[in-house]
Amino acid sequence: MESALNATFEVLSFGAIIVLVVLGLGIIASMMGIFNFAHGEFVLLGAYTTYLVYSFGLPVWLGMLVAPLVVAAIGFVVERLVIRRFYAAPVAAMLGTYALGLVIREGVRSLIGGLYISVPEPIAGSLTIAGVPLSRWRLAIVIITAVVMVATYLVLTRTSFGLRVRAALENPSLARVSGISTNAIYAVTFTFGAALAGLAGALVVPVFSLFADLGIRFLILGFLAIMLGGIGTFEGSVAGAAVVGVLSAALPWAVAPVLADILVFVIAIVFIKFRPGGLVAGRRV
Amino acid sequence: MREETTDGRIAPTMGRRCFLQSVAWMSGAIATGVSSWSVQPDWANAAAAPIKVGIATDLTGAIAYVGNACANVAKMVVKDINNAGGILGRPIELFVTDTASTESVAVANVRRLVQRDKVDVVLGGITSSMRNAIKDVIVTRGKTLYIYPEQYEGKECTPYLFCTGPTPAQQCDQIIPWLIKNGGKRFALPSANYVWPHVVNKYARELIEKNEGEVIFEEYYPLDQVEYSATVNNIMTNNVQVVFNTIIAPGLGPFFKQLYQAGFGKRGGRLACVFYDENALNLNAPHEIEGLASCLDYYRAVTARDPASARIQALYDEQFPGKVLLAGAATGMYRGLKLWELAVREAGNLDREHVAAALDHAKISEGPGGPAEMVPGKRHCKMNMYTAVAKNGHFEIVARSEGLVDPREC
Repeated sequence: MESALNATFEVLSFGAIIVLVVLGLGIIASMMGIFNFAHGEFVLLGAYTTYLVYSFGLPVWLGMLVAPLVVAAIGFVVERLVIRRFYAAPVAAMLGTYALGLVIREGVRSLIGGLYISVPEPIAGSLTIAGVPLSRWRLAIVIITAVVMVATYLVLTRTSFGLRVRAALENPSLARVSGISTNAIYAVTFTFGAALAGLAGALVVPVFSLFADLGIRFLILGFLAIMLGGIGTFEGSVAGAAVVGVLSAALPWAVAPVLADILVFVIAIVFIKFRPGGLVAGRRV
Repeated sequence: MREETTDGRIAPTMGRRCFLQSVAWMSGAIATGVSSWSVQPDWANAAAAPIKVGIATDLTGAIAYVGNACANVAKMVVKDINNAGGILGRPIELFVTDTASTESVAVANVRRLVQRDKVDVVLGGITSSMRNAIKDVIVTRGKTLYIYPEQYEGKECTPYLFCTGPTPAQQCDQIIPWLIKNGGKRFALPSANYVWPHVVNKYARELIEKNEGEVIFEEYYPLDQVEYSATVNNIMTNNVQVVFNTIIAPGLGPFFKQLYQAGFGKRGGRLACVFYDENALNLNAPHEIEGLASCLDYYRAVTARDPASARIQALYDEQFPGKVLLAGAATGMYRGLKLWELAVREAGNLDREHVAAALDHAKISEGPGGPAEMVPGKRHCKMNMYTAVAKNGHFEIVARSEGLVDPREC
């Protein structure tokens, strides 16, 4: 019983982390058709900003508040300078963002001297429920992820801005004819996606510590999630992320860990073979 | 070069000459190497040509902090030797090349070191896969001497390849009996899935069972895994007393953190990790690894009793005051260079056969951690070993080997 509760919590919390990371990636991929290979590095930048604020002697939570803003600003500049040139050429965008990611990753690596640095949680310690110690910070991540997810969904479905974003996605030409500046919409969407990545990085850095390759593993899992969930839908990315996160955390409980790592991909590929559109194909927010 | 276009605008174009210039410049840059550099001796009147020492280590990539510590130590030792008049009346010129934590990059860079720069000896390589990738380039095709300075899984018996870091026998023979006495008999062996953990675990398991301990589980994980909840649960529910860890970064920090949060330390569990040195102390908050036991040839705490170690530590701190510390992963570099220096002096020349023959029985009386000597015919190094425990973010020595420990290799 204790073990089951513990397993459920750990699987849930890792699932939440993956959802948080994939949310930004999914929004950019779905709304703009751009596969942002620098997303992992935006996560890294969020983590680095948090560490930087902390290293100045300020509280960690302040760093976590600042990180999304800083990464959003960087995302905005990147969109204006680089990404907007690639809207007509998604393959070039992949290469361009990959190069950008490489620059950011190696930049951060030299800034932190290639070291692995631990950053403390703003809420430390564990909460004992039914005899099982649950990490307070992981619990906080689950709650924050849920809030961010719901807020993002509401913005996209219930606000006029969300309507314009969806219009720009469905039919860019018609949206432009109707007086919507798709250019501005794309800039805001990309900035928002970057901010989410920054937030994800800030929240996960106490769990995984800061190192230059922090973003890479999440990037691969992220793309797998989007593929699995179905490109072009908000729910798809979230559902895909939840499935991938839960699978990669749950499988090691059942099979040998090295096998589990491969199984996640095998299951995802088999699934896509039978349902190429993904989990939530054909439905849009 | 600018040309006028048909609509009258001035547009930049690339002419043939400009293109050729760029190509020439770029090929020059590539040929001379952008990822390597040399430190020339500052002897104004060096009459004899310098002796060339090549350092091939990971200055960039995932384990760059270890590589940079090694490069720093090499610079310090070479400077020291040059200040004392060099070797055989000749100064030493240091050639440092980046192996970039990537074997394919490393092979090309090391080949350049051996074939173009024609160095007299190569020291470096951090992981075993790196050593295996570059040893052929150096020893077989390059006909050059190679010194590998890291703690590793043993079994490297290639001629002209000398190892100056600790082996499993040197580490496990010391720490396993200590762990059984100061931790318990129920062991877990969580490990990264590559050659070093597999070989160390095999050795450790035999020792654990010989000392009447028991291995509850031995499990291997992908190198980049960062989520260990299933493993932690396994450790907690099976009442494991000692976690003998061979998981490496990036998974190491999150794993220890999860173990701490699950209450492993609180219920008296003992963490052990034989590669954990002062540079690794950054990986976790001090309270998460309180009581972690490690076994290496050097810790900063050794300086309290050994004046030679204290002098070397002070020299390093003065020359490299940054975050990259002189720690267990870089001491093999010091030992290797000093042993090689003695061997060259004894041989009286730089001929590979002669230097290798002298290096085979070289001894130094001072080094980080104490004296060291090569075991004749084995190409491995005897050294002092220390068992240390992390207390409040620092290592405290809890046990010392009785004299130099035999590597028991080859």
